[in-house]
Amino acid sequence: MTSANLAAVQADAGRPPRDWVLIGLWLSLIVVAAIWIAPFVFIVFTSLKSTGQVMTTSAFAPPADPQFSNYASAWARGRFDTTFVNSVVITAIKVPLGLMISAMAAYALAKIPMRFGRLTLVLILFGTMIPFQVMLAPIFTLVNGFGLIDTYPGVILPYLAFGIPYQVFILHGFFRAIPHELSEAARIDGASHFTTFRRVFLPVSLPVLAALFILDFVATWNEFAMALVLLQDREMWTLPLGLSAFQGQFSRDYGQLNAAIVMTVLPATLVYLIFQRYFVSGLTSGAVKG
Amino acid sequence: MAARAIGSNMRIQALLLLGPALVIYVVFAVFPMLDVIWLSFFKWNGLDPVKVYVGASNYVDVFTKDPVFWVAFRNTMIWTALSVVIPPMIGLGLALGLNQPIFGRNTLRAIYYLPVIIAPIAVATMWRWMYDPFFGLFGQILTSLGLQSWVMDWLGNRDIALYSAFGAYVWQSVGFSMVLFLAGLQGVNRSLVEAARIDGAGRWSIFRYVTLPALRTTLTIVLVLAIINSLKAFDIVYGLTGGGPAQSTQMLALWAFTQSMQIFDFGRGSAISVVLLGVTLAVVIPYMRWTQKREETTE
Repeated sequence: MTSANLAAVQADAGRPPRDWVLIGLWLSLIVVAAIWIAPFVFIVFTSLKSTGQVMTTSAFAPPADPQFSNYASAWARGRFDTTFVNSVVITAIKVPLGLMISAMAAYALAKIPMRFGRLTLVLILFGTMIPFQVMLAPIFTLVNGFGLIDTYPGVILPYLAFGIPYQVFILHGFFRAIPHELSEAARIDGASHFTTFRRVFLPVSLPVLAALFILDFVATWNEFAMALVLLQDREMWTLPLGLSAFQGQFSRDYGQLNAAIVMTVLPATLVYLIFQRYFVSGLTSGAVKG
Repeated sequence: MAARAIGSNMRIQALLLLGPALVIYVVFAVFPMLDVIWLSFFKWNGLDPVKVYVGASNYVDVFTKDPVFWVAFRNTMIWTALSVVIPPMIGLGLALGLNQPIFGRNTLRAIYYLPVIIAPIAVATMWRWMYDPFFGLFGQILTSLGLQSWVMDWLGNRDIALYSAFGAYVWQSVGFSMVLFLAGLQGVNRSLVEAARIDGAGRWSIFRYVTLPALRTTLTIVLVLAIINSLKAFDIVYGLTGGGPAQSTQMLALWAFTQSMQIFDFGRGSAISVVLLGVTLAVVIPYMRWTQKREETTE
């Protein structure tokens, strides 16, 4: 406490040469960061070791003789060719389509006066809070009723349904803040709502759309519980299902198991590292506004 | 006449824009929620054409004849209580640190947040391997520190398995709270902090009397999201322990899934889901009313 007060006093007296509180803080942040990153290092190192090396070398010893073949073996045994393609197809359809229909709905709710507009909005916002994990069985029953178990639409439709609330929530807030003059000018020129939406609203909301796109990409790519229920045929499995099965079958092939983890995690990690700044803005633009 | 034509044209446009999202949302999200309540009053194996109406007996069975339900209930409550306290506290600490002008803050922020974007099932797989009592990370670290006797079967010991699983969850969820707090800290009035400092307030007093009150809204959001996210905990427990050993890490969401999809008792599974849904709504509805009010006052 006294040191903090002292630092404050020193700060008043002009920049102190060293702010010990800040240095201490920085060091503790570094320590936490080291702990946070340690699992990744451990996983990558293990993924490059043979089973014998795993048993005899220390966890943080870099692999002396990197076994890249672990990756090839894990790829083949974990049937990554199938699961990877399924994940790509589902994500590539779901994410743009979901964003499109969410943006359309958000525009209608924000800019077209409707009798039950407010009620509809509340109903949709409600969905941001309800965990689908609660309803896995009825979702299965419903999709089964449509005969869509083990199909792409069978998993994409529920994914869409549970992605819509958050996206509408964010986009509605954004569209509503767009000045009236902007849309009215287009409307007076005789443009329909479709045109106004496409020519005026979509272009100005590109940053928000980008943020939502990336958040949704990661969420879809990572989704496990619904896929577990809706995709039972292993030809239809996605990457998370494949990884889970791999762990069940080959949990003693440490090197390959860790290679499988790395391959599953890598795409989302790359997307995150490349588009980092969008993540933060996308997460916070809706949740915390002043 | 013309006005009416324009009006109906407007309505058609509104419907076309709103329709796709609304239909998909109602069919695939709202309907299952109602259906789960409906199903909880029937005896059904999920496939038979006939569902037998049994009144409240699924609930009676779950409450009185299913010891696992109460274990799952208790675990869900412990998990939720821990998630409300631990990850937000660490997240706040990190956010306060990163809010200072320090070297490498963007890199540090990226590191803390990285686990958030990793698939929970992959986190489970990673941690399961780290918890391996023979070659896993924790065993090795303790051994190299000469603490072999501390090495435990982290996920196999029913007294600690739940807390081991929670450790993985902390690692994954701290970054999320941190980002929300960082955003909230941007809203703290700089000149107020400056004024307090000139008046001779120390760092702690500034935090206590300026920063913390300004974070009240953020704090509420973080805590509510922590509760909701913890009620959803499914993937990570499924991947780490599958509810075991001896159901000691069973959770409500996972137990509902197990009853319906593995034991094929959709009635009981749905009854468990309804309990979880009720708990969720008890948090969500007051929260939504609070956000609505807040929006009205800021408008």
